[in-house]
Amino acid sequence: MKTIEKLGELGRRLRLLFRSRDRFDREMEEEMRLHRDLRAHEIQDAGVPAEEAQYAAQRRFGNTLRLREEGHAASGWIWLERIAHDVRYGLRRLRRSPGFTITAVLTLALGIGANTAIFTLIHALYLKSLPVTRPSELWSLGDDQVGGTMGGLQGNFSLYSYPLYEYLRDHTPEFSDLAAFQSRPMDVSVRRAGGERPAEHYFSEFVSGNYFRTFGVQPFAGRTITEADDRANSSPVAVINYRTWSSRFGADPSIIGETFLFQGLPVTVIGVTPPAFFGDTLRPDPPDFWISLHAEPLFSPGNSLFKQWNEYWLYSIGRLKPGADPAQVQAHVTGELRQWLTENYVAGRFNGDAYIASRYQDTAAQHIKMMPGRAGVAWERYNYHDGLILLMTVSALVLLIACANIANLLLARSTADRVQTAIRLALGAARARIIRQVLTEGLLVALLGGAFGLWIAFQGTRAILRLGFYASTYIPIDARPSLTVLGFALAVTVLTGIIFGAAPAWIASRGNPADLMRSGGGRTGTERSLLPLKSLLVLQVTFCFVLLVGTGLLTKSLRHSEYQQFGFQTQGRLMARIDLPQPQYPPARLEDFYRRLEQRLTQVPGVISASYSNYSPLDGGGSEEPVSIKGQATVPSLGETKWPAENRVSAHYFETIGTRILRGRPIDEHDTARSQHVAVIDESFARFYFPDEDPIGRHMGIQTAEHAGDYEIVGIVENAKYFDPTLDRYPTFFLPLLQEEHYSDTAEELEQKSTKYIESIQLRVTGRPEDFRDSLHSALNELDPNLDIESIRTFDEQVGLQFTRDRLVTKLTGLYGFLALILASIGLYGVASYSVARRKNEIGIRMALGAGRARVISMVLRAVMKPIALGLTLGIPIALAGARFVTSLLYGVKTYDPLVFSVAVAALTLCAAVAAFIPARRAASIDPNQALRTE
Amino acid sequence: MPRDEIPPGTLYMLILRMLERYGELHGFEIAKAIEQISRDILQVEEGSLYPALQRMLVKGWVKARWGTTAENRRARYYRLTPVGKKQLAVELEQFERVMGAVARVIQPA
Repeated sequence: MKTIEKLGELGRRLRLLFRSRDRFDREMEEEMRLHRDLRAHEIQDAGVPAEEAQYAAQRRFGNTLRLREEGHAASGWIWLERIAHDVRYGLRRLRRSPGFTITAVLTLALGIGANTAIFTLIHALYLKSLPVTRPSELWSLGDDQVGGTMGGLQGNFSLYSYPLYEYLRDHTPEFSDLAAFQSRPMDVSVRRAGGERPAEHYFSEFVSGNYFRTFGVQPFAGRTITEADDRANSSPVAVINYRTWSSRFGADPSIIGETFLFQGLPVTVIGVTPPAFFGDTLRPDPPDFWISLHAEPLFSPGNSLFKQWNEYWLYSIGRLKPGADPAQVQAHVTGELRQWLTENYVAGRFNGDAYIASRYQDTAAQHIKMMPGRAGVAWERYNYHDGLILLMTVSALVLLIACANIANLLLARSTADRVQTAIRLALGAARARIIRQVLTEGLLVALLGGAFGLWIAFQGTRAILRLGFYASTYIPIDARPSLTVLGFALAVTVLTGIIFGAAPAWIASRGNPADLMRSGGGRTGTERSLLPLKSLLVLQVTFCFVLLVGTGLLTKSLRHSEYQQFGFQTQGRLMARIDLPQPQYPPARLEDFYRRLEQRLTQVPGVISASYSNYSPLDGGGSEEPVSIKGQATVPSLGETKWPAENRVSAHYFETIGTRILRGRPIDEHDTARSQHVAVIDESFARFYFPDEDPIGRHMGIQTAEHAGDYEIVGIVENAKYFDPTLDRYPTFFLPLLQEEHYSDTAEELEQKSTKYIESIQLRVTGRPEDFRDSLHSALNELDPNLDIESIRTFDEQVGLQFTRDRLVTKLTGLYGFLALILASIGLYGVASYSVARRKNEIGIRMALGAGRARVISMVLRAVMKPIALGLTLGIPIALAGARFVTSLLYGVKTYDPLVFSVAVAALTLCAAVAAFIPARRAASIDPNQALRTE
Repeated sequence: MPRDEIPPGTLYMLILRMLERYGELHGFEIAKAIEQISRDILQVEEGSLYPALQRMLVKGWVKARWGTTAENRRARYYRLTPVGKKQLAVELEQFERVMGAVARVIQPA
């Protein structure tokens, strides 16, 4: 009721606001006059003369004018009305100069759009909560900087083994629930039991029974996994992602309760998650299925992680009970961790291994950092962290340049209006009012620009997302602006409006009317009056230069990393990633399968050579192994915990991927399980472990010294990049797929067994590799319809994938740099033409006194070049300092790259010259007679 | 005869009450009505009537229309709205409460 009354009042006020002031005044005047007349009559009737009665009535009534104002103030909002007046005035002025308005609005729209687009990304990645119940109660154990599977101590723990998770869960009562889940989604092949369709590739994630309860996620259909589903001997169940359910299963409700074959293993699908839920991590490949954690041993019977207490592969997020203090809980869980480590590492299970015991002695250095789990697991964010900060900085710079431009335009305008302003001041206008008018005009431009900028931001964000996630199945970010983003855009808009409106407003109000009117509007402007414009210009040049240098550095770095020698060839080659499920492929069957695989692949017409291995170049896989070398008593690791990478490969591997053999021979078809065990090493391995000797004929092994004689080194190949292309080369050794040693340590036995399973297939073909996708796919399906084919890519695509982020960041920075250059040029042009217009008489006089065209042109150019030179002088040290912050994004480029700096200087100078030359020529064509006559 | 200014804050109440009693009135009639009924004791500061009426219009307590007086002059006539009626009840109750309290305080013991 109260609100309705308030709304009614608001409506009446608004109606009054839009009614004309004149009519209001007239009406009030009329009713008050009636009052006075009637009162005068009354007094007159009492015998007072007419004139005196009039006065008396007037006295009793009070000050008409004041009362009318009071009534007026009561009826509307005086301040709002003034604003409305200023807005109308501002709009009129903007309409009168469409050139200015369009330039300013476009400039700002670009600036605000650029910022809002980047903010949309930052908001989605950093600020948005998971779509779950009370996300602020969620806390993550660890900062999730690492993922995957790790053995050994992490120092700052993020990954947990199942036994460690259980220990923490059962000893930390401050959590109402503590869930664990696989740190990286896993590839699975899934087909409907009894269905005809071949298996398809999906992502899945093992989650603990309390996972959905912890997040407070209610099922969309069916039910979610509960603790009853996640016990030893309970049959495996899975929950399907709503998106997967609707896009790949046509939202078919009958699949709930149905059994599917996951890697050939029966799993019951029990429910569908709600549409908004995408899992615990914002990522381009969210899990399609969540599977009960206790099913993990069934999926990998030979090398299950589930019971391993020293293999860390789970993340943990918990819901704190109300009132629990995260700092105290952090101390508590860290204590539990140390206790657990002491019990397991130091006190027991490593019986007698002095080396390991000594390394794990130091449990005091181990700790857990509690991080807010509001936004889920963080790791995807680290990937874009530097890039986003850079882009935010860059877009802020563009916006500043845009602001400077508009400030300049407004300044020029308000200077041109100085006479008018002076007259208004002289007539008694309040300075505050004049300031407010100029500010209003600025804000109007800002709001128009902001509205248009939102549209640009929406389009821009969509384009950025398409670029950034071009190979993904799912774009986890919505480009449509949320309320927060709208708020951000509005805040930026208002702020910019004030920033670029303030200086002109101040200057407009400062003029002394008498002086100004005497000088006839400052037509004989001095250099000094151009000072604010020129300082803004210096700033623009500085920012623009910094941006250009940044763009240059990133572009050069990207070219460096894209066109580097990768150590393999990309032309005419493609690779497939597959997953051999261990239940269907026991080790005894592998030899036969590999033989059939090789036969089938070489039968494909157009295939020159085929090979298969654990890993392909640049596909992100790899495993490290400590090595021992015969004849070397102690073998150093590469760094704190780094060891060389192991890759088991088939015959023809090196020729298929195009890695050159430097010495000796490659692994070939004679290297079988039963022949002499051999190894091929790469150059950096040779250089690190055999700095002064010939490695060929020497022996090496995996793990401790007793294995040092296992493999004879028969060849050296060139270095190739297997991991991040911007990282240094990683010493690598290659072994034949099926040669194995005997280890007394069961963990090592298991480890060795898993390396016999290939994950990658490579083909070298004649013609376009893209055309071989289908034949490779059908060849593999023919071998085994259950085989999970994760991806088939050409080598070029695989390389390209590595640079998605860098290309995106570089492209955007480049775009923004270009934008900045254009904006700065426009600004320069504006200032130059304005200064020419103002100095018309001066130029006319000079020409009348005999100055030639060339002299006039050079005079104008000189005036503009001074701020340019100053801007560059300021910009160079700032760019040098700023470049230090992007070193993490640079590859093969020094921050002080002289070429980049010179190109930036040249580009700016050229643009400046062009921008200034046009008004300079105009100045030179001034007719002295005419110029002087207008004085 | 001495005249007393109306107590502050009661102007709205007086106007509302007059409109309730007489239906439609223009400004001068309201002022006259207050004077007459109070037997010339209460005197409205005449001009201040009009800003007050504007405020009451905005609050929706009264409605106005233009009409003509008996002498055939244009006048703005005000009348009570349902909201105004409710407001009058609120103000009366408040006024009585305050006056009752004041009376109790100054009553000889």
